[in-house]
Amino acid sequence: MLVFILIPLGVSVYYTFTKWDLIAPAPTWVGLDNWRYLLHDSRIVKVMGNTFRFILFGPTVYLVLGLLLALLLRNGGRATSGFRAVFILPYVLATVGVGTIWRWVLNDRAGPIAQLLDVFGINSPQWLFDPKWAMIAIAAATTWQALGFGMAIYFAGLQDIPKQLYEAAGLDGATPFQRFRYVTLPQLSPIILFLTVTALISALQLYDPVVAMTGDGFGGTAAAGGPQDSTRTIVLYLYNQMFQYNESISGLGYASTIAWFLAIVTIVFTVAQWMLFQRRRSRGERRPRRGLLRRKAGA
Amino acid sequence: MKQATDARSSRRRTLHGQQHSVARRRVVVRVLLIVSAVIYLVPLTFVVSSSFRTDTNMYNPTQWIPNPFTLEHYSNLFETLPLLPRYLWNTVFIAGLSTAGTVLSSALAGYGLARFRFPGNRLILAGLLLTLMVPPQVTLVPLYIAFRTVNLVNTPWPIILPVFFGTPFVTFFFRQYFLSLPRDFDEAARVDGASWWQVFWKIVVPLSRPAFITMAVLTLIQQWNGYFWPSVFLKSKEQWVLSQAMVSLSGQYASRQGEIMAGIILMSLPMVLLFIFAQRYIVQGITSGGVKG
Repeated sequence: MLVFILIPLGVSVYYTFTKWDLIAPAPTWVGLDNWRYLLHDSRIVKVMGNTFRFILFGPTVYLVLGLLLALLLRNGGRATSGFRAVFILPYVLATVGVGTIWRWVLNDRAGPIAQLLDVFGINSPQWLFDPKWAMIAIAAATTWQALGFGMAIYFAGLQDIPKQLYEAAGLDGATPFQRFRYVTLPQLSPIILFLTVTALISALQLYDPVVAMTGDGFGGTAAAGGPQDSTRTIVLYLYNQMFQYNESISGLGYASTIAWFLAIVTIVFTVAQWMLFQRRRSRGERRPRRGLLRRKAGA
Repeated sequence: MKQATDARSSRRRTLHGQQHSVARRRVVVRVLLIVSAVIYLVPLTFVVSSSFRTDTNMYNPTQWIPNPFTLEHYSNLFETLPLLPRYLWNTVFIAGLSTAGTVLSSALAGYGLARFRFPGNRLILAGLLLTLMVPPQVTLVPLYIAFRTVNLVNTPWPIILPVFFGTPFVTFFFRQYFLSLPRDFDEAARVDGASWWQVFWKIVVPLSRPAFITMAVLTLIQQWNGYFWPSVFLKSKEQWVLSQAMVSLSGQYASRQGEIMAGIILMSLPMVLLFIFAQRYIVQGITSGGVKG
């Protein structure tokens, strides 16, 4: 593991200070050029913006809807495991397959959404060909695929909440909403943190669905990221700069710089969320439960 | 009044040891569940249904149950993608080997981190948590160059080797899981003269079945469906995995909807069956390992 992670990590830091198009025999040292270029690269702003749009419409919905479904599932009775299997099924499918399926779901003439809109006399937008909608469409497809997994984890967390807590709240005359707010939510907080962190990390690394839903298929990435760059993500841009673009900056050096930029963004986000949850937790009266968080803190 | 009902219902809930709620609320919840499950299944039903439709009926909305029913798309698939058996073998090889490697190496590393105090233990753990946050794309460039230098691009090894000796997430997961196992068993066996190696195989592994199944199935699914790493390292057609074949199919033969859907089904079927079989362990494994420690 050390050989395949730590050494490449070190080497890739070195590459961020070099330029190498893979044709030259060795990288040339260029100092901070890549980093300077990155800070002025308008496409970095664009791809980050795209990623945040994705987070707004994908992971956010996933976290909320997953919890709602889990709460519903709690009352599923004997059919619970059947329902769970239905929702979790798309999680097992290949992302590229899901992309293909959603190309049909979003088809502006034959797809089910278009047909539903048609009933209300609304003309369906050309989802994947409209820069306004394309990223939202990708977020919808990704959420559809991941939701069941989130739901299953929430559900398992709900099962672990001691029944006495609800009993006590019931005796105190708490309304269902208050029970949710003061028992369910705080008890679920390690689960919520786990799901938030993992969802955000994978959102920042979004790649497969974009290629499957906007690419042309030949080698996969030639057209991906469109329309008008509205679905280009950081990782796709990294791939473009590594293999496809032929700009003065392109090559492995700049690709490494983008990768480290992504790493920094990820670390900042993760640590920020963790601190946010810690503060919430220390404000509450409840003693923290043993969890991922505390282990992390202990490490 | 309402509060009184709630209090009563929650008392009743504990009496029966399970969740009985007001009948009306239960009906509403059931209906909501069924509606969302149906909406959820629409895309999947379409995939299955259209893989059996004839081309003329492909976009006919009355054909949810295909009539006439045809298997031609499944057989055509082998003509459209003449190398399909090859892709299947590549995928099986890569996914199988990398899953076996990831799970075994990570479990051993996680065991070491959970049970032994050695100098650098904490440092390694901190490094592990840091690499959890660093996206794998960071190591992509140096690995690409390394594998190019030793002429291994366009072979399965660049995909297998980087995960074969363990991955940070799986290692961390196993460490958390092993920490939750009581040490008494280990120590009892040690007193009886078992080596650490024997303790691991004879005691820890059997006790951690859900963790092993969970990580093996999740890693296998990930590797089976993976697209990014193969798309970087496997450029020549003979070396492709199934996911690359699928992307090429849906791009190049976009009009052949039936074949595309048949392809998705064939590619997904093994993982779907595996997951259904292992579902119980997986939910149990994840919640007891990664989340709660």
